[in-house]
Amino acid sequence: MPTAERSSLDDVHRALGAKMVPFGGWEMPLSYESGTVDEHLACRRDAVVFDVSHLGTVRIEGDNSFELLQQTLTNDLDKVGPGRAQYTHLLDADDGSVLDDIIVWWHPHTGGDDDVFDVMPNASNTDRVRQAIGGVETTHMRAVLAVQGPRAIARLSAIFPQASDVKRFRVVEATWHGVGCTVAGTGYTGEPGVEIAVPADAAAALWEAITSCGIKPAGLGARDTLRLEAALPLYGNELGPGITPLQAGLEWVVGWDKGAFRGRKALERERDVGVSRHLVGISTEGRRPPRSGSEVVVDGQLVGVVTSGNYSPVLEHGIALALVKPEVGMNTVVDVDVRGVTLSGRIVETPFV
Amino acid sequence: MNVPEQLLYSSDHEWVLREEGSSRVKVGITDYAQDALGDVVFVQVPTTGNIVLRGETITEVESTKSVSDIYAPVTGTIVEVNDALSESPQLLNEDPYGDGWICILDVNEVADLDSLMAAADYSATVEG
Repeated sequence: MPTAERSSLDDVHRALGAKMVPFGGWEMPLSYESGTVDEHLACRRDAVVFDVSHLGTVRIEGDNSFELLQQTLTNDLDKVGPGRAQYTHLLDADDGSVLDDIIVWWHPHTGGDDDVFDVMPNASNTDRVRQAIGGVETTHMRAVLAVQGPRAIARLSAIFPQASDVKRFRVVEATWHGVGCTVAGTGYTGEPGVEIAVPADAAAALWEAITSCGIKPAGLGARDTLRLEAALPLYGNELGPGITPLQAGLEWVVGWDKGAFRGRKALERERDVGVSRHLVGISTEGRRPPRSGSEVVVDGQLVGVVTSGNYSPVLEHGIALALVKPEVGMNTVVDVDVRGVTLSGRIVETPFV
Repeated sequence: MNVPEQLLYSSDHEWVLREEGSSRVKVGITDYAQDALGDVVFVQVPTTGNIVLRGETITEVESTKSVSDIYAPVTGTIVEVNDALSESPQLLNEDPYGDGWICILDVNEVADLDSLMAAADYSATVEG
């Protein structure tokens, strides 16, 4: 095993008593002393900050960068423009499986019209994405802080007003005490907020400033329960080998109106014949969490499998995302088999909260 | 890590409180165990009357991270359970040696308790 990568905020997390866990080749905070449920509720009710430096950043710039991304990734950059962020997928060329889900930050044009893209894959997929699109990995030059929650923007305005002005899915170059940062109106919690890429040597000072204005640190445990309540897919669970964007209910990520892109032919075939399964939300009774791998049963027949499940701190019962047969529709009553225990559930609208 | 002096401990991170002159013992999980579990969101309250063998699963608890088994520290019969855990599983985190107790076992062989560790020995295993 190679040594785990560490965030430039590693010392800060340890000093706060964070529980550190391996994640995608990195060692990152799972939770701080108050625990995952408390951090989760703080994000839904107020504001939290996550260190998400483990996300990869691959910088692509120059003359052909726009065309390269258009031909490689699924979403259509013509729907946005410089100064915008876009969620997109990298597909397997043969079967249309999702090889990674990615946020692209298209930097604003400043002074000229040179395109600069920061392509942000999941930590463990950074090499795979670099093989597909090239570019220069800049992951270790910066930290990324995600400030999220209904009061995130208001609280952040006290110490970094420029960042707090960044609207949803905008990308802005901002300066904090002389330090150049890139700020995007993105996140992974279902709450308003921003993600700030800050040079690694200034990350601890920015973290300190953010947490000093009442924004609580939160770990990957809360990030996972938050994204599940928001029904946002996680690579390795809802996306991955054998799972296409169409099955995951993410056809809006597919730029059908643009030209060729990797995996397009496979997706067109699937679109024509219809998907063999689709992603749904399941609400279960009681506190026991459904789990990834739990079987979903309707009238005694196996119809699918849970891809992610947990206890919802807001709803105070179990919730799950599951890939099920296409005929299993909204409001269907289901049984979820959790290691031999049957939970009663129902297919519900997502997001769950 | 809090390791009360008056309790006995298993290598599976359960604690045992003896009642003076009785074969009944109270059982729970240690501070170390609750911390390792993370936030507990569900406890399957064990069933009164069940006979459990030492090292066998008494019940399972679910945290936001994963599911974990709780093992019997000694062989005995479950004679009382902490019903409060079904509504308030977080008691395992908040008060593992008090309101977060799991069950009372009527021990088969009181001599079995000799196999458990004293506080100092248990502390040494978790600080290793």
